[in-house]
Amino acid sequence: MNELLQTYWPLIVAALLVGIAIAWYVFHASRRTRITGTSRDVLDEGAAPAERNKALIDSAPAATPMEPPAGVAPTAPSPAGDDLTRIKGLGPKLAATLRGLGVTSFAQIAGWDDGEIDRIDAELGRFQGRIRRDDWVGQAKLLAQGDESGFAERYGKLS
Amino acid sequence: MPLWFELAALMVAAYGAGLGIGWALWGRKEQEED
Repeated sequence: MNELLQTYWPLIVAALLVGIAIAWYVFHASRRTRITGTSRDVLDEGAAPAERNKALIDSAPAATPMEPPAGVAPTAPSPAGDDLTRIKGLGPKLAATLRGLGVTSFAQIAGWDDGEIDRIDAELGRFQGRIRRDDWVGQAKLLAQGDESGFAERYGKLS
Repeated sequence: MPLWFELAALMVAAYGAGLGIGWALWGRKEQEED
């Protein structure tokens, strides 16, 4: 055995190095995260889009916050807004979507006209059509007025 | 035992030792990172 090692040690060392090299490739080199995107860099478009976006951000908002209709006397919404899930047909997921659209109170929903309903409806994805189907506006008017008995009579008991 | 067999066994052992060293150096650390 010793004679063999003395004679063929270069082969043994070579086998050891091959083992180390393969282990390096398997455990280290092939597991590196490579970023191989082919899309162009956003700055390739130049600075004009960035300036346009900045101007849009800085400009005054195009729409003013919605006011509730004259006939609706809203109960004072809490700072966090109303619990929109009290509206039948409006679950937590839709409530989150509406919050993202800036709708947080019953009074806002009660004030929607057809155009506004269409605009919001377009943002609801697979829940499109729910607003009219479940009469959110009618429900929200009653909830905004705090008319729970009227609500229960028309839409069923509040959950 | 023929000479070539002993030599082959030694080389396989050395290769295995190399894999073990490599795993200890890089494999163990990256497993911890996952």
